[in-house]
Amino acid sequence: MTSTAAATKNDPSPEAPENGAAEPGSLRRALRAVLTRRELLLVILLVVVLVWMTALGYGGYLTGPYDPDYLAGALVDAVPLAMLALAELLVIVSGRGGIDLSIGSIVSLTGMVFGIAYGTWGWPLPLAILLAVLVGGLLGAVNGVLVAWLGFPALITTLATYYAYRSLALVINAQKPISTPDIQALYSLTGAVEIPVIGRDIPNVPLGVFTFLVPTVVVVWLLLARTTYGRRLFAIGTNDVAATWSGVPVARTRLLAYVAAGVLAGVVAVYVTGQFASARPDAGTSGNGLALPAITIAVLGGVAITGGIGRVSGVLLAAVLITWLDAGILLLFEGNDGSQFQLLALGAVLVFCALLNAYTIRRYGGTR
Amino acid sequence: MTPPSTQPSTQPSTPPSKPSRLGRARGPRVLAPLVSGQEIVLLAVIGGLWLVLGLATPAFLTAGSLRPLLIEVAPIALIGVGMTLVIVAAGIDVSVGSQMMVCGVITARLLVEAHVALPLAVLVSVLVGAALGAVNGVLIAWGRVHAIIITFGTLNLFQFVGRQIFGSQTVNGIPATLDVFGRGEAGQVAGLPYSFLLTALIAGAVWWYLRQTPGGRHFYAIGGDALAAELAGIRVRRRVLLTYVVTGALVGLSAVFTIAKGTTTLDQSIGAGQELAVIAAVIIGGTSIMGGRGSVLGTVLGALLVQTVSSGVTQLGWPSNLSDLFVGVFVIIAVGTDLLRQRARRAVR
Repeated sequence: MTSTAAATKNDPSPEAPENGAAEPGSLRRALRAVLTRRELLLVILLVVVLVWMTALGYGGYLTGPYDPDYLAGALVDAVPLAMLALAELLVIVSGRGGIDLSIGSIVSLTGMVFGIAYGTWGWPLPLAILLAVLVGGLLGAVNGVLVAWLGFPALITTLATYYAYRSLALVINAQKPISTPDIQALYSLTGAVEIPVIGRDIPNVPLGVFTFLVPTVVVVWLLLARTTYGRRLFAIGTNDVAATWSGVPVARTRLLAYVAAGVLAGVVAVYVTGQFASARPDAGTSGNGLALPAITIAVLGGVAITGGIGRVSGVLLAAVLITWLDAGILLLFEGNDGSQFQLLALGAVLVFCALLNAYTIRRYGGTR
Repeated sequence: MTPPSTQPSTQPSTPPSKPSRLGRARGPRVLAPLVSGQEIVLLAVIGGLWLVLGLATPAFLTAGSLRPLLIEVAPIALIGVGMTLVIVAAGIDVSVGSQMMVCGVITARLLVEAHVALPLAVLVSVLVGAALGAVNGVLIAWGRVHAIIITFGTLNLFQFVGRQIFGSQTVNGIPATLDVFGRGEAGQVAGLPYSFLLTALIAGAVWWYLRQTPGGRHFYAIGGDALAAELAGIRVRRRVLLTYVVTGALVGLSAVFTIAKGTTTLDQSIGAGQELAVIAAVIIGGTSIMGGRGSVLGTVLGALLVQTVSSGVTQLGWPSNLSDLFVGVFVIIAVGTDLLRQRARRAVR
């Protein structure tokens, strides 16, 4: 890690953005725009994926139709991924190596708590959701107190709490999922709906997009772009010391980022419980878990792992890109092979984007 | 905790309650003491746990119970030796679990389908591991990207490779030649399993190398300040690459141990979650996640502690998943003491 920083510093005067602008040639300017405006790159990649997959579909290489209906249906998986990626955005932007590996475990544990409250104890739904959100926030606060107040490195702290929360989620109901009739009824949360007025002309979109994703996106965007808190978060992520001397309550701001990530994970837990029609103790941790794809999407969306840089729109586009790419890959292969190639795609995209981010920072001083 | 002072450097007073440590740190010592405080504490904790477990379940302190413990510790400790190098040089490698899957499935298929001799299979496994480590190392050192991001990516890539080689099924009929590293009578001398002895030997060699040779000290220099190390003439990139290659090679060897201690069937779960156990062992062993400090001896003790906890939880009849909770708590305690030590050192200056 330090070696990369050192190597960057060693470079003979990395070009400032102003110098880049003075370079002649529209091609260079286009390249510069693509590299520094992450949203532009993502839109181009999205178009490439869509055209490529559609072409493969017409060529008869796919096992099913890659059409708007299929794409709209695939968004059901984009909801938890995008929300968790937004949670990672908050945490990573907060700086000082901020990252939350425990977010998948928080989803598992709060999902189980929600399942017990709603399914077993029979609490009313709003109260159970409130409990899930509170528990998520509390678990996030544990991370936040350790990282922001006590100065623990985020990576290893959230690794430890990943362990701890995952263990609790498995033990709390003796590894058994909860799927009482009440919880099975929650499945309707994720069903596809026809949008009123214009719904006839466009494909049906999963309900979760409107009940979970859109409100989350709006709230996070408002928080980051329109509140003092958002400005402070970027300030501490960019320069801890400068923010301290500017009177920003650094520890509290950073702590709240981890709490917010936990709250988002709590909301995702409710969604995932509905999606699977059962509260599963490994909802956020089975396989590679949810944290890894969420971090991948955040990095792909242009969030700088060093903190201080990141936008909601980039993360959202990246989530859609990964979802539709995965959905296409699933159609490309028979049987189990598709999920393996999804691993390849996720890994390759992450490494590619990380290298691209590093190059962009050296060449142009970072994405906007 | 009333004024949440955010900057560690401005930590006022409250010197940690060990004035003797402060006194020692003042000297012109270059090398760390042979056995650090953390390692003594670890030994005491492990000893205490064994005592408690021995009292709670009399079967614990018997050879029949401790030998499997050592066999379980061996792969984690062995990878931990490499991971100590990586973390001392301020890196991290979360892809070791997937590396183990690739090495494991290649070795198993060589043994089962090609009937390759065991030494050759072990060599191939080690070389494959080193090659995978080299992929990580090159991307991290020359791509100038955070190690965590690159290894998260290669975690997926290696897993893809491993599953492709598996071909969505298990490898059956692992031959008995692997018993040398296994649980049976063939795998031990004087009651000690070969896999653990080999691990101890390698750990000892790396411990000596890290502590006593200039080359070993370079890793600490890089972890302390990579730029300063570069200016002091250390070829930082090659050294960083080396840490990942060594880790990969050790993963290759521990993949053989892991197959040997299992059943005659190898399934796709091999290596899953190993990266967390290994990193936990390294951190509990007193290696600083920020780099620049740590020892292989501590890592081996850390692995022993992690494994003691998980086998103790099982022997007490608690749900086995509960052991991860304790591992998490131990990691947080270890990081906390590391932070306290850093502040103590700053307070001295």
